[in-house]
Amino acid sequence: MKENVASATVFTLLLFFNTCLLNGQSPPGKPEIFKCRSPNKETFTCWWRPGADGGLPTNYSLAYHKEGEKFIHECPDYVTGGPNSCHFGKQYTSMWRTYIITVNATNEMGSTLSDEIYVDVTYIVEPDPPLNVVVEVKQPEDKKPYLWIKWSPPTLIDLKTGWFTLLYEIQLKPENAEEWETHFAGQQTDFKVLSLHPGQKYLVQVRCKPDHGYWSSWSPGYSIQIPSEFTMKDTTMWISVAVLSAVICLIIVWAVALKGYSMATCIFPPVPGPKIKGFDAHLLEKGKSEELLSALGCQDFPPTSDYEDLLVEYLEVDDSEDQHLMSVHSKEHPSQGMKPTYLDPDTDSGRGSCDSPSLLSEKCEEPQASPSTFCAPEVIEKPENPETTHTWDPQCRSMEGKTPCFHAGGSKCSTWPLPQPSQHNPRSSYHNIGDVCELAVRPTGAPATLLDKAGKDALKSSQISKPREEGKAAQQREVESFHSKTDKDTHWLLPQEKTPFGSTKPVDYVEIHKVNKDGALSLLPKQGNNSNQPEKPRDPENSKEYAKVSRVMDNNILVLVPDLHTKNVACSEESAKEAPPSLEQNQAEKGLADFPATPSNCRLQLGGLEYLDPACFTHSFH
Amino acid sequence: SLLLLLVSNLLLWQSVTPLPVCPGGAVRCQVTLRDLFDRAVVLSHYIHNLSSEMFSEFDKRYTQGRGFISKALNSCHTSSLATPEDKEQAQQISQKDFLSLIVSILRSWNEPLYHLVTEVRGMQEAPEAILSKAIEIEEQSKRLLEGMELILSQVHPETRENAVYSVWSGLPSLQMADEESRLFAYYNLLHCLRRDSHKIDNYLKLLKCRIVHDNNC
Repeated sequence: MKENVASATVFTLLLFFNTCLLNGQSPPGKPEIFKCRSPNKETFTCWWRPGADGGLPTNYSLAYHKEGEKFIHECPDYVTGGPNSCHFGKQYTSMWRTYIITVNATNEMGSTLSDEIYVDVTYIVEPDPPLNVVVEVKQPEDKKPYLWIKWSPPTLIDLKTGWFTLLYEIQLKPENAEEWETHFAGQQTDFKVLSLHPGQKYLVQVRCKPDHGYWSSWSPGYSIQIPSEFTMKDTTMWISVAVLSAVICLIIVWAVALKGYSMATCIFPPVPGPKIKGFDAHLLEKGKSEELLSALGCQDFPPTSDYEDLLVEYLEVDDSEDQHLMSVHSKEHPSQGMKPTYLDPDTDSGRGSCDSPSLLSEKCEEPQASPSTFCAPEVIEKPENPETTHTWDPQCRSMEGKTPCFHAGGSKCSTWPLPQPSQHNPRSSYHNIGDVCELAVRPTGAPATLLDKAGKDALKSSQISKPREEGKAAQQREVESFHSKTDKDTHWLLPQEKTPFGSTKPVDYVEIHKVNKDGALSLLPKQGNNSNQPEKPRDPENSKEYAKVSRVMDNNILVLVPDLHTKNVACSEESAKEAPPSLEQNQAEKGLADFPATPSNCRLQLGGLEYLDPACFTHSFH
Repeated sequence: SLLLLLVSNLLLWQSVTPLPVCPGGAVRCQVTLRDLFDRAVVLSHYIHNLSSEMFSEFDKRYTQGRGFISKALNSCHTSSLATPEDKEQAQQISQKDFLSLIVSILRSWNEPLYHLVTEVRGMQEAPEAILSKAIEIEEQSKRLLEGMELILSQVHPETRENAVYSVWSGLPSLQMADEESRLFAYYNLLHCLRRDSHKIDNYLKLLKCRIVHDNNC
């Protein structure tokens, strides 16, 4: 019986165990403590990993004892650290002492003990990540921007007493970059990052570590945008400055181009021409020559004994009417009635009706005459009647407008009107009042006679006019007063050089008779080819050579051009002419014809538009 | 004029008094103490880093997996010294005692460090990394000791020379024939060195904040 009971018990037990095994229930598997960490050297937590639970509810318990102690303690806190953890509070935490910790898993079937772990809190220190990470972009004046990163240490860490020492590290990268840029920040809680890529979005993270221990995890990333205008500002500014400058330059160029001439006139005022004092321009316009002349005080004709030979032609071209102004350029062309269109249909002009040659000089006197003005006495010659007195028509005719006196830069005496009939439009020649001492332009290129700059006295004394009734051959004196402006000069020259308007009477030249002490030139008409020339039958080869004044430079220097008719310009000798030693340089040039012949010396210097060597003249004069 | 003297004296006192631990007088002491502590902390930090590396290298190379850790419990010769084991205990120790304690620990390690170097150097195939570190630790520990004694003399000049230290008697273990025993002896020595150097470093940082910065690091 007893044997049956014993065997039955054994059988039952075996059956029970078998049943259990068949059910899959077993004691729990061995748990494993895998991690212990202390965030502040004052507490620590251990976590375990449970093993197989054996299909039954399993309890876990942690037991520990410290180095040097024998008493075994159980985990004081299973909750704080989460499931399967044990948290050791301050009073349970000791430094520099080894903890021997085990976890016991228990279920209905049994319990299983984990391996012991030996933990020294000293070596498991891992803080929490830093808190309150703040990143700002700082832009100091005239300096590059930088990132200023601030943070605060994690909580529950005692830094003040020195129990805990934290070291920080920063990492940042542009948003799309792959690699982080790491900076060690030591124990400070702020940091400046200077190497930035503008216009980029940066991610910044901070972590910390105890003086001896593990690094914390990275703080959450802080995104910040670096403004791109910091470096673009300079570029944009320079671009706008460049554009503005270009626009201003264009405006200036355009303005200059438009008003170039007037501006040039403003900057370089033209040399004033002669003025006739007392000359009433309006009277001239009205055609009241008598009153005009009387206003000038031209009462009588100047003594013309010296100038009997002079036959001055005055050619006025007037397209508006009949032959008011006739070309008196040469007697052989009396029928030419070319009138300069620019001339006023003055009744006196060209007719010698102003029978007072002296009027001219007076007329040419003007109160506003600038010092450099000079009167260009107009010699008006009756075109159709060579017999008529060739009056010295002091009319100053205006080439443009109706101003009788025109001069450079002001109201000055006009130059000789161009006898050239179908001449170019003088207006085209003179677009400046100052330039308007215009002369007749010969198709052949009339020489430019010289103007006396001395003023009316000179005119008086150097009156070219000869009474027309003397029947001088048509001579023409062309006087041009030139601007100092080269552009005008060239312009003027052009019509003179090229006169496409058919041929007219050849322009004759005027010899300089003498030069008085005032530097006035007394001119004698040059004997042209016209055999009617009473005086000095001129042989183009043997007669005096004259130079055409191309223009008047400043300093009263006359620029002479060789006359096209005459082969060369030579310092011709004129017995009748003399020059005072005090003659000015320009007058010396003017009086080229007066010079004793030093052809070689002077000639060399006169090729085209060349200047005369004053020394040459001086020598000649003396 | 008396008022001026009074005021100037007060001002002078104010500039002097921040550290009561400078009986020697004024500004020079204050500055010196700060520099001494800064230097001491640097040394202690350095020594512990070396010790920690040395232990890790030794363990990795020689004793990994032998479970020596379980045997190296309560086996440091300096455990007889009453050292604080948490912040609260450390804050309860007086400044003077604390400084003395640090000096005692340092003194206790003079001899072990000396023998450590000697023995490692005499080893066949002496591990160069371990040997160099041992040499460095020994040298820096001496400097640290000198610095601490200087600090002590400045802060507590009345303190007699502190003779308390732990005697180390582990030399025979280092020379044992049994390799495992010998290895354990080294392991234990390096383990204790790592711990004590950490202690000293932590204590000094505490004292520095307490003495130099008035608990306001």
